[in-house]
This record gives sequence, C-alpha cells and structure tokens, in this order.
Amino acid sequence: MAKNLSGDLQVASANRLVDGLVVYLDDAGRWTPRLDRAALARDRSESAILLERARAEAFTVVDPFLVAVTESDDGTIEPLSLREKIRAAGLTFDAIASEAIRYA
Amino acid sequence: MPDTHFYRYDDYDRALVRERVEQFRDQVRRRIAGELTEEQFKPLRLTNGLYLQLHAYMLRIAIPYGTLSSRQLRKLAEIARKYDRGYGHFTTRQNLQLNWIKLEDAPDALAMLAEVDMHAMQTSGNVIRNVTADHFAGAAVDEIEDPRIWCEIVRQWSTLHPEFSFLPRKFKIAITGSPNDRAAVRVHDIGLRLWRNEQGEVGFEVIVGGGLGRTPMIGKTLRAFLPKDELLAYLEATLRVYNRYGRRDNLYKARIKILVHEIGAEKMREEVEAEYAATRHSALKLAPEAIDAIARQFAPPPLRPKRTRVPEVEALKLENRAFALWLKSNVAPHRVVGHAIVTASLKPAGAPPGDASAVQMEGVADIAEAYSQGEVRVSHEQNLVFPHVAIEALPAVYRALERLGFAEANVGKITDIIACPGLDYCALANARSIPVAQSISTHFASLARQHDIGDLKIKISGCINACGHHHVGHIGILGVDKNGLELYQISLGGDVDFGNTALGAILGPAIEADKVVEAVDALVATYLDARAEGERFVDTYRRIGAQPFKERVYGNP
Repeated sequence: MAKNLSGDLQVASANRLVDGLVVYLDDAGRWTPRLDRAALARDRSESAILLERARAEAFTVVDPFLVAVTESDDGTIEPLSLREKIRAAGLTFDAIASEAIRYA
Repeated sequence: MPDTHFYRYDDYDRALVRERVEQFRDQVRRRIAGELTEEQFKPLRLTNGLYLQLHAYMLRIAIPYGTLSSRQLRKLAEIARKYDRGYGHFTTRQNLQLNWIKLEDAPDALAMLAEVDMHAMQTSGNVIRNVTADHFAGAAVDEIEDPRIWCEIVRQWSTLHPEFSFLPRKFKIAITGSPNDRAAVRVHDIGLRLWRNEQGEVGFEVIVGGGLGRTPMIGKTLRAFLPKDELLAYLEATLRVYNRYGRRDNLYKARIKILVHEIGAEKMREEVEAEYAATRHSALKLAPEAIDAIARQFAPPPLRPKRTRVPEVEALKLENRAFALWLKSNVAPHRVVGHAIVTASLKPAGAPPGDASAVQMEGVADIAEAYSQGEVRVSHEQNLVFPHVAIEALPAVYRALERLGFAEANVGKITDIIACPGLDYCALANARSIPVAQSISTHFASLARQHDIGDLKIKISGCINACGHHHVGHIGILGVDKNGLELYQISLGGDVDFGNTALGAILGPAIEADKVVEAVDALVATYLDARAEGERFVDTYRRIGAQPFKERVYGNP
C-alpha cells in the first residue's frame, strides 16, 4: 500500500555546510546528526514555527526543510519517505571499503 | 612512469587550473565565513564540479575523453583515501565521482588534481561538459583516426569559452573514430563520427540533437562530411544557433534536442550553415601545425609486433575455464599484432557497478604500468580499460585483476550493468539503482550461464534524467516513485550500436523492486526459448516483438 507522506509530524533537517552531513534541529536550536534528538512539530502551526527557527539557525547549514516523520509508541521517530529514510540511515547497501580488498 | 603519450598541460593550462583552485579556495572561505549566501555560492561550487547530494558533497572530476595515466589514477586514489571514504564511482560520462567530500577539503582536493593536470571544471552547469570518446581510442583495429586528438582540441576551445558559459542547458559532445560506435554518439547533444569518404579524405559526420533524459531523442545528421580543420567553426556555429534559439523559458525544453525537434533538422541545418558560412574562414579554422602539435601528444606508444599464439595463454585457457571466458568477453583485438585491449570489469557479482576502492585504483595503476604503457581508460559503460597489453602478458594481467576483484568475465553480458548512483546518493533520484543492479548481478552470477545468454545490456536509471542510459539498454530499467513506493518500469529494445541506434519501448506497468529480478529472468527465458542461431537478446526482440516477453512477465490477461 502506498503511504500517506504528508503527515502532521515534522522535523527540520538540512545538510551541514562544512561537510554536507545530514543534520536535524533539536529543541535547543542546535543542529545534530541524531534524528532521535530532533525537535518534533506536531501540527501545522508548530511546523511553521519549526521551519522559521531552522531558517534562523541556518548559518552553519544549507537549505533547511521539513521532513514528515512517524513516531512509534516508544517515541522512536522515523521519516515517512524512502528518500528521508536513506538520508537518516545512510546507504542501503555496503559500499566498497577501502581496506577490504587486498591484492598481492 | 612518465606520461609519454598523453596530452600534457602547457604553462597556460597549468596557470588557468591553479588560478581556478585558488579562486575557489577563497570562495569556500567566504562561504564558510558567512560572507556568501548559498544562493551566491551554489553556482560557484557547481562550476567547480561540487554538488550537494543527499548525505554529503559530491565532487565530479573530469577525466578528459576517459584517458588516464597511471600517475593520474594514483592521484585519484590518494584523493579518495585522504578526502573521501576510500572509493569512487566511475560514471557513464567517463568521469569519477567522489561521494563524501567535505566542502572545507574541496580546494585541497582540487589542488591535488591540478598536480596531475586534472580538474573538475565544467562537470556541472549549463556549459560544454567533459568531451567523451571511444574508450578503445588509439588501439582499436577498426579505428580510422584517434578521436582523442579532436576531443582535446574541443576541450581547449570549450574550456571557459565566454560565449558558451551560460548556455540554455548543459551540453554533451562525444567523438568516435571508428565505424563501430563505442561512444554512443547518436545520443549526445553533438556526436561526431570520423569516417573516410570516397575520395579517401577523413572528416566528421556531425550528428546534432540526440540525448536521453526526460525526452529521449536520436540525433540527426546535420553534416554528412565536415572537413576536419573546420570542426571548431562548425561547432561554434551550432552552439551559437542553440544559444540564440534554445528554450531558456522552460528547463525541460532547454536541451538542443528539443530545439532540433521543434524547428526540424532542415531548419536547424540552414541556421547552422548560415552561421558556419560566416565563421568557417575565421581564426577558428585549424592550422595544420596546430592540429599536428596536439596529434603529437597522442602519438601511439612504441609497440612492436609480438607473437599471437603464446603457449602459456593456450595452456591457461585449457586449465582455467574462467580465463577462457574472460579472453572471449574482456579481451579485444589490438591494431598492433600480438597485442590486445583488456577491459577490467568493475561489475563483480553483487558489487555496486562502476565503484572502485583506492586500493583497487592503485592496483589498476600497477597493472597499467607493468603491462599497458602506463595507460588506463574509463569506458562509458563504467569499466576500466588497459588499451595496450601484449598477448603474452594476458595471464599475468588476469591474475592481477583477479586479486583486485576486477577479472569477472562479463563484459557485454547481463551482469555488466550500467547503473546511476540512484536514490542512495543522488538528490534528483526517485528510486534506488545500485541495489537493483546488485540483485540482478547476484542472480545471474554464473559465468557459464552469462556466456550462454550472450550479449545483453541492462541499463538502470533511478530517475527520468537517465544517467544510467536506460533508454538505450537492451533491457532498460527506470526507477519511479509512485506515492512513496519505488517502482521500476522496464523497456526493451534500446541500442546504441551505430546503424541500429534505438530507444527502448516500455513493456508494461511498472513493477515493485522485489519483482525486478523475476521479471529479468522471465525476459531471458523468453529469449532463450525463441532465439535463432547467432541471435543476441536484442535481435530476437526485434524479430519476435514485445508480446511474448510481455506475456511471460505479466502473464496472459
């Protein structure tokens, strides 16, 4: 079944300016690589405020935007879209490790 | 090993690239200090090949016409290890992409590139991009002339060309010097094919308005025969017409293929010829000594004819089936007797197509130095090529490639898959490509089965921009997003062979990711059931049509 990707729960995300790393805005207004620390907006009005805060804190990041997420019973946050799941969790396959392949 | 048969930067080239690095260093400093906004900075970083993708910055490094010296390849490995995560991705435009570069490190990475006469300029933006060429250039038996001489001339003309720095859209040129097109010239903005006319003169067929992406088109021949020394005048005329009439109002209609399609090839030819008439006797006409000066830099390496039947090769062929298959699929004839062109497959079963670790790059550089005149090529099919290998060295090259994991005997076979980076890396993608390629190549890993199936090209793109060339795959696979679900649309019958260039036709409704391998299996089974003697997959498809394939994949309605 196709999922509804326009959920009410949102976090603010961006890429960190110096290295492009995926980051999320936390409740203290700091950018963190940890999704579990992201500030969570629970309705449209909170989302608008969160995006404003993210833009105001954008000095060290690139182009903040909102990400639709779900929250499980234990409070775990997970993005709804595959794209954002990949941004949050990384590649879905094992990249070649530089030292994994040896040759004589 | 000295770079003896490569184009070497002159003082002008060197100064230009170094100045550019220092300019970018200052731009990065100003961006990090907050003196430039992202809006101001983005065009500056893009023009230096630095994209911001899903997880990180990506640096796209130009490999001019896919030619690398072992020294350059070592430097790429060093950059990958020092500033990235120790690997890189060779692309369908013969470039190398490093996927984890930090903005703050990018100027240092570019400075290291400059040390070996390389850069990342014009690997992004609405400019003339890296000119691509036949990866067998200078070695192929069927070659009329080495296309890299002309690629280099075009590179010099197009680098920072003031009139063509803000084209309506990006612009890609490919050149082949052989009748067997290994550079896909009919699906480029401009494709150039060197050929010899009845008078014995060599010139270019100029093909304009090809391309893949959202609206795939096969290019039209605007000029059947263009004298070589008038190449730049004709290119300038074509670009000028495109610059004037190209659709700047609509991103999706801005490529030259749309212009040619909308006004028609006849009108386009008229416009270009009028412009050309005014410029052909200008400074753009190439003097013989200017052409010779470039050609000298691509002088063939001093190979002497050698024996073609080598006992060690024959013995290994008998005792090692994989080697025997490798000779069939990965080794091509060379113009000098007793030599061969070897393709190192960057598609071992289950691996991301086109990826190579720093260690592997260094291993390839070692092999090139020992056995291939220090030279490596990048193919648009995302493999690496040793252009000048003595037949007597083939066992040693094979064993060295085995140790690197690049000896898979699958070139041109079903697991030699072209795949774009897809949604795992790319900010434009809708669906993943690499995991799909990995599933297919794992499923079809048996070399005996691959060779039984024969030549079959699968090409996978993660979005309609078609970086994985799915339109011209015998089997094309396009990832689409449907309400958050990754689906894959299959097309059949695409081809880039000269004379047979064709765009694939969509087979039916898109299918889910976990059904793709099953579908490819069904397509292969249909082919194996129906094939006539000597037919490749695409030949059988052309003969029997889509219906039997469709029924096998989707069942009878």
